[in-house]
Amino acid sequence: MKATLRARLVPSTTVTYPFPETRIPAGFPSPAEDYAATEIDLNSELIRDEAATYILRVTGNSMIDAGISDGDEIIVDRSLTPTPGNVVVAAVDGEFTVKRFSIDQQGQGWLLPENPAYPPLPIESGADFTIFGVVTRCLHHVH
Amino acid sequence: MSAPALSLVFHVDINTYYVSCERILDPSLRDQPVVILSNNDGCIIALDSRAKRLGFSMGDPWHRVADAAAARGVAVRSSNYELYGNISQRVMSVLKEFAADFEQYSIDEAFLTIPATPEKAKKLARKIKDDLARRVGVPVCVGVARTKTLAKLANKTAKKIPVLRGVCVWDLLPPQRRESLFATLPASEVWGVGGRSTRKLAALGIVSIGDLARADLTLIRKRFSVVLMRTVLELRGVPALPLEEQRAFKDQLIFSRSFSTPISDETQMRQVLSLYAQKASARLVKAGQVAGIVAAFCSTSLFSEGTQSHPSVQVKLPQATADPVALTRAGHQLLTRADFGVAQYVRAGFLLSGLEQDGAAQVLEPFELAHEKRQVSTLLASIQEKCGQGTIGLGYAGLAEQPAWNMKRQMLSLRGTTHWKELVQVKL
Repeated sequence: MKATLRARLVPSTTVTYPFPETRIPAGFPSPAEDYAATEIDLNSELIRDEAATYILRVTGNSMIDAGISDGDEIIVDRSLTPTPGNVVVAAVDGEFTVKRFSIDQQGQGWLLPENPAYPPLPIESGADFTIFGVVTRCLHHVH
Repeated sequence: MSAPALSLVFHVDINTYYVSCERILDPSLRDQPVVILSNNDGCIIALDSRAKRLGFSMGDPWHRVADAAAARGVAVRSSNYELYGNISQRVMSVLKEFAADFEQYSIDEAFLTIPATPEKAKKLARKIKDDLARRVGVPVCVGVARTKTLAKLANKTAKKIPVLRGVCVWDLLPPQRRESLFATLPASEVWGVGGRSTRKLAALGIVSIGDLARADLTLIRKRFSVVLMRTVLELRGVPALPLEEQRAFKDQLIFSRSFSTPISDETQMRQVLSLYAQKASARLVKAGQVAGIVAAFCSTSLFSEGTQSHPSVQVKLPQATADPVALTRAGHQLLTRADFGVAQYVRAGFLLSGLEQDGAAQVLEPFELAHEKRQVSTLLASIQEKCGQGTIGLGYAGLAEQPAWNMKRQMLSLRGTTHWKELVQVKL
């Protein structure tokens, strides 16, 4: 009796899956039901500005000490203004690269790798250089 | 001297939409001429100004210009509808932040209505443009005026006059500039003035936009239509376009595609129609609409030497629905009219009309379709949304393997904003 009543209260717009009817055991409803409201939503936790966020996949080892490894996915937020110290995705000569953005005391801009095996790259004045966005998260593959 | 706030219309559209989308995630295209090809890589459907200057145009058949494009360093891409759709959504969601009164007019343009003085509107328009460039990464132009028709014209002006840097507030243009634009631009440049009316107008001596703006309202309504009369009012700065009129063209939904290889047998055509019916159904569900009339058609190539055949069928449904089963069944009536074994079909599609909002019509219980009661279409749509198109479908459309006639997209860029496996790779 209770089961039929419930079914009819469901608004007609919801999707009903064609599962066989199950019997609802008699007794008090579980007190946990009141708390089963939402789930953790990674999109809302990891992405600040959806319209401005792009996800890219990295290859190579030059940023290993910043915790970014070959095959990881990075979350890039274009709405943030890049400041020295940020890890950024930059477009240099028509190609994307990921490096730490830095400006030294002489005012020279640099793209710094995070791996001693790679050399720092000076940002030449007049070079084909733009910053695509600031890297906010790295999804590292652990397992 | 603070001018009073006006209710101003902002018209925003993305510059060279497809090309701009391709450039976001591919910096190598930034300073290169780019052309985008139609479904099946048939012809050029979009190109940037650099490619235009090299002599390429919209509609050029690709097989004829491919060598020339390669020789001149023109980059080529197949249409990446997943990417373009995603970028459009991003742009629209940013625009919604600026105004509650928002109307998406097409995939790459929208109208916002915002109360502001012209000076304030100019700053706001600049901010809209800068926000979209910085956050989404696309260039847009913004036209601002007292009416939609003038806002569209202001947008065109913003595109044509470089010193405006992509933003044109009609009321802030010097009066002599507005007059000279009205005097020099042909009436056909006005939104909603088609080729047929242009010729008829010219016969009455109405050639420029200025001529049209000064035309006698009664004459226009008598000789043309109340719609064109409203356009004249709008050109004079009087808002006159109600929403329904502009949305009238949305009273039908078309889903049609051409195939990469021609179809000449019934089984394959049955597959195609099943799949297209379900795609059309998914669109209806998304728009919250139901259709009362289903037309299905297929056709041979106009350029082929062989048998020409263009059968079509129209079915009036007993009850307006978005149900894919009903649409598929109606579409399959086309099969009896086609010349299988003789004709080589290259295209098929559905045209749904008699559209109304779902739930607008009361359904008499005995006429309700059994599978509709179980909400098959909503269920399919939600699974397809979650797991991707082609993961589930009715009958032949549920086949996991891509059938041979599926679209050819050989120069497709990565679908990097919608497909996890196709994320754009960055070298560290």
